[in-house]
Amino acid sequence: MTIHLKVWRQDDAQSKGKLVDYTVDDVNPDMSFLEMFDWLNEKLILNGENPIEFDHDCREGICGSCNMIIDGMAHGPEKATAACQLHMRHYKDGDTIVVEPWRAKAFPAIKDLVVDRSALDRIISAGGYVSVNTGSAVEANTHMIPKDESDLSFDYATCIGCGACVAACPNSSASLFTGAKIAQLAHLPQGDPERGKRAVNMVDQMHKEGFGDCSNFGECEAVCPVEISISAIAEMRREYIKGQF
Amino acid sequence: MSTVSEKILDSKIPDGKLEEKWSNHKNTVKLLSPANKRKHTILVVGSGLAGASAAASLAELGYNVKCFCIQDSPRRAHSIAAQGGINAAKNYPNDGDNVWRLFHDTVKGGDYRAREANVYRLAEVSNNIIDQCVAQGVPFARDYGGLLDNRSFGGAQVSRTFYARGQTGQQLLLGAYQALMRQVDAGKVEMLSRQEMLDLVLVNGKARGIITRNLVTGSLERHAGHSVLLCTGGYGNAYYLSTNAKNSNATAAWRCYKRGALFANPCFTQIHPTCIPVSGDYQSKLTLMSESLRNDGRVWVPIKQGDKRHPSEIPDDERDYFLERKYPSFGNLVPRDVASRNAKAVCDEGRGVGRTGLAVYLDFREAIKRFGEDGIREKYGNLFSMYEKITGENPYEVPMRIFPAVHYTMGGLWVDYNLMSNVPGLHVLGEANFSDHGANRLGASALMQGLADGYFVIPYTLGEYLVNTELEDVDISHEAFAEAESSSFQGIQRLLNINGSKTPIEYHRELGLIMWDHVGMARTKEGLTTAMGKISALREDYWENVKVPGENATYNKYLEYACRIGDFLELGELMARDALNREESCGGHFREEHQTEENEALRNDDDFSYVAAWEYKGKGLPAELHKEELTFENVELTQRSYK
Amino acid sequence: MSKVTDIFKSPVGRKLLTGITGLALTLFVIGHLMGNLTLFLGADAFNQYASFLHELGWLIYLVEAGLIIFFGFHIYMGISIWLRKRTARPVKYEKYASRGGKSKQTFSSQTMIITGLVLLVFTVVHVNTFKFGAGWAGEPEYTTVVDGQEMRDLNKLVFEVFQNEFYVIGYVGVMILLGFHLRHGIWSAFQSLGTINNKLSLMIYTAGSILAILIALGFLVLPIWVYFTGGAQ
Ligand SMILES: Cc1cc2nc3c(=O)[nH]c(=O)nc-3n(C[C@H](O)[C@H](O)[C@H](O)COP(=O)(O)OP(=O)(O)OC[C@H]3O[C@@H](n4cnc5c(N)ncnc54)[C@H](O)[C@@H]3O)c2cc1C
Ligand code: HEM
Ligand code: HEM
Ligand code: SF4
Ligand code: F3S
Ligand code: FES
Repeated sequence: MTIHLKVWRQDDAQSKGKLVDYTVDDVNPDMSFLEMFDWLNEKLILNGENPIEFDHDCREGICGSCNMIIDGMAHGPEKATAACQLHMRHYKDGDTIVVEPWRAKAFPAIKDLVVDRSALDRIISAGGYVSVNTGSAVEANTHMIPKDESDLSFDYATCIGCGACVAACPNSSASLFTGAKIAQLAHLPQGDPERGKRAVNMVDQMHKEGFGDCSNFGECEAVCPVEISISAIAEMRREYIKGQF
Repeated sequence: MSTVSEKILDSKIPDGKLEEKWSNHKNTVKLLSPANKRKHTILVVGSGLAGASAAASLAELGYNVKCFCIQDSPRRAHSIAAQGGINAAKNYPNDGDNVWRLFHDTVKGGDYRAREANVYRLAEVSNNIIDQCVAQGVPFARDYGGLLDNRSFGGAQVSRTFYARGQTGQQLLLGAYQALMRQVDAGKVEMLSRQEMLDLVLVNGKARGIITRNLVTGSLERHAGHSVLLCTGGYGNAYYLSTNAKNSNATAAWRCYKRGALFANPCFTQIHPTCIPVSGDYQSKLTLMSESLRNDGRVWVPIKQGDKRHPSEIPDDERDYFLERKYPSFGNLVPRDVASRNAKAVCDEGRGVGRTGLAVYLDFREAIKRFGEDGIREKYGNLFSMYEKITGENPYEVPMRIFPAVHYTMGGLWVDYNLMSNVPGLHVLGEANFSDHGANRLGASALMQGLADGYFVIPYTLGEYLVNTELEDVDISHEAFAEAESSSFQGIQRLLNINGSKTPIEYHRELGLIMWDHVGMARTKEGLTTAMGKISALREDYWENVKVPGENATYNKYLEYACRIGDFLELGELMARDALNREESCGGHFREEHQTEENEALRNDDDFSYVAAWEYKGKGLPAELHKEELTFENVELTQRSYK
Repeated sequence: MSKVTDIFKSPVGRKLLTGITGLALTLFVIGHLMGNLTLFLGADAFNQYASFLHELGWLIYLVEAGLIIFFGFHIYMGISIWLRKRTARPVKYEKYASRGGKSKQTFSSQTMIITGLVLLVFTVVHVNTFKFGAGWAGEPEYTTVVDGQEMRDLNKLVFEVFQNEFYVIGYVGVMILLGFHLRHGIWSAFQSLGTINNKLSLMIYTAGSILAILIALGFLVLPIWVYFTGGAQ
């Protein structure tokens, strides 16, 4: 099938970008969305043009590298699917697809669809861990954790750090990402003594990075490839309040 | 053809009884004082399980650490993709497991081509790993009593695998990543993401620095330190299509090889039997379907050749459940190498299924009848939906189609017991080294090894190196840095200047096909010789005819690829050479000339019970083979049988 | 967080304030609605209710002061969150769409700032019309006697105001917008206060929406009723 693309091209952070039209013929319905880009890039290279840059690595929806706004939606229209797991069989011959990078002040542009998401790492380094040095751990079965709690913690732990929540949020808030880590650890006995400090430091860092506030739009949950629930954000607020005392 | 040196490789295995070697060693190594640690800078290349755990642990001890990775965040290292689980000899289920058994299974699973002492140490620290990860908040599966749950994995007779749904690698890596970020916050680790190591810098024969390319600006950077830890993962992408992430590569290890580090057992690669088959030539990578599926799925192909009927129209008596037929006692649960080879064999007979004929069925019909669709969903729901996303077929209704794919490389840079290569100061951890898996890796043991190396081995052994070694002050103005930088720069410029007519990916695909056809699941002398010729011709063509787009001074993914493919084109040949040298079948290495009457692998312990470590002799010259003899004092060498 | 003023900077603190003030205003509005519904019981009942409030003395001043402060904070936070959102994404998307599904991006949530500002203008006009309207200064023609007690005839004012169709249409319009503000607002406030978990979420969202509709309906039947029946009085 033939697919028309409008792809955001931008040389670097300083230059202004724009949407450029491309047509890809002989797209196979079994191709993944990124494979279509590979295909197009091969042709661009042979034509002496610069290929489209985009981040990707695992291509199985777990590393969180891929980041594309596809037709206005982070990771595209399929529910619980990262861009790398989106397949062309969901499109029709002749469709036009608009592809843009994640956009937020806290995610400065690098090139084409590639942006700098290191702000998310800095939020984790502000407190998203349990302070335990190698070798000082107690026997693993010392703490018994009810299965429900452990499962809930796991649900939050599955965040792949892609930043789609930020990209889709009308306010560019990183609350779902930050909340997911805070909520994961809040359901475990490990690291309990530093719970309050953790929440306060991570939230403060999020603010410093220039992310917006959360107006509870819930768009983040809808685009999250692993469907982290916005109850993580409520938990983040609870932990933050507790952290004040 | 290749020269064999008489030089003995010293594995530095400590004396004493197997069970006491590691503790004796730990007790006798000299310690570096905290004040002294502060004066040492350690360069950790890679942020996967091995790199992140090492960087965090060393920083906790007081070293200054610089950690590098290719991705935009250390959390995205390829370890994130591991699904199944991690082994440990905790014996929580009380089914008779212990350190000895885990050690024994791992040595046997590796078809007796690994060092006993290393494997024993691995089994010994396995329990500490679980403690450490749980303390970090890794949410392993639990039972209703709130205690940790285990499952049996990869055909093991005991339940020793800890798992976190189908995302064990992700959860373990995030634990290590968080420990790493904690040290970043403490100012002990400087994290340099989007940086690719291109060369190793040697000063007076010792590893004292690296050259990296800043992947955003293209500038080459020099980093000096007292030791280099290479934690850069495996080289499965030499086959182009593999379950490895797109950025996985051999470049760092290969450049170290060219600076004198030995490359051990390069031909030992693992082909995983349950992957989603290739669907077309646009395919960019393959996706693993966890091995656990073989617990309930039955593998079959039609008895008739070229039977194109819909699977549901093929009655049971026209199906060949070939694993159950050939291996009545293990059935569908035979080890990975055996399952893979048999799937290939039936496809070679023309009985493969699907559009390409390169797939076999993994059928859940009976399991669904027995446990109901919901029962199956509970166990494998995420895998089934992943399968459906990729193939567009509903595996609850049509059997899955699977085919083997390259998954893991047991070979890697040679290291001694202390994880140091033959180049002083160059340590190699995780999948990048060759150490613990012999000729075949058992399921759930790579995660264990990566974390053992990083959390529990290197913190001791690195100190010993630093205490015992005279290390003069070296900074990046040293001429060795200038030399290495300019050689990297010239390599890049050369690639950019060729401006030929084929894209880097086209070459990579071609290399992959050669490797898959001749250095894949079944190897022959003839095929390997052909492969070496073809690879060397392809390499020559590459350096004349490749077209690399853009320029150096910007983000340029295809330039990154082009550098890495240049290295794969050399490594591929060494893999074939090693496979040609090893005139036996063992583990993942199957030479058709060496098989039993029942077509099973036939080992030759008399002549090949050694580690083949290859030394670079210069451009265009054949590599030189060094042997490290393997001695087995504690396990008895037997022929594996799964009949 | 060391200083109290930091609460205005913290992303959680800001939402806490919005949520608390929003809920308090919602409570006020519900109370106000209950009071207003006494109009249906007749002029005396309504006037009595109003004068009862005034006789609370310092208490009513306290409530009024509270109201002003709450309005103030609420407006300040609402506008400041909105301003930050604009700087947090300097380059807009060429094409943006909601994924739907669990998203709570609705007309309600997307227009909070607009409905809010309309409410602001409305409140100023409204208080001027009623509280400071005819009878405020004790004009005799807007004074009535109920059960021997002299009091302000607010009922008369209300009936007069709502004879004007522009007022009626304006009020009905604003009440609908109030409904929209609250449809997202009530749920959102509970989420902001961190009181929601996975199971409660849908329940509170639904309950909040129903409450919002009830409040809007309750308010808007009044002007309409007065308009159609009041002329005949
Ligand atoms: C799909 C899949 C499933 C698996 N499942 C399991 C399982 O269930 N159980 C199990 O035990 N094992 C499993 N494995 C194997 C296991 O995941 C890997 O062997 C292990 O994670 C390797 O870890 P590592 O730290 O050595 O390397 P990696 O995780 O590969 O990390 C490599 C790091 O090095 C960096 N790097 C590479 N080259 C350079 C360079 N030149 N310069 C700078 N940085 C560089 C990368 O950026 C990355 O940070 C699986 C593997 C795959 C592919
Ligand atoms: C008078 C002018 C008003 C303005 C300018 C205003 C503005 C806003 C804005 C912009 C928000 C969204 C905050 C965010 O993005 O997170 C909001 C939330 C809210 N408003 Fe208002 N509003 C006003 C009046 C009212 C009134 C009268 C009520 C009650 C009847 C009310 C109840 C709420 C509630 C409950 C919320 C949700 C709070 C939260 O999300 O935490 N508002 N308001
Ligand atoms: C049909 C709808 C409404 C009617 C008939 C109505 C009627 C009145 C009347 C009669 C008063 C004067 C009370 C007094 O002075 O004692 C008043 C005051 C007031 N009303 Fe309303 N009102 C309506 C809707 C609203 C709404 C929707 C709001 C909020 C956004 C609101 C906010 C106020 C405020 C803040 C005061 C001043 C209270 C005080 O200072 O004591 N009203 N209203
Ligand atoms: S919360 Fe979801 S959308 Fe946000 S970073 Fe994590 S996985 Fe991505
Ligand atoms: S979309 Fe944005 S506003 Fe909050 S609920 Fe999600 S972060
Ligand atoms: S490429 Fe890894 S999640 Fe998409």
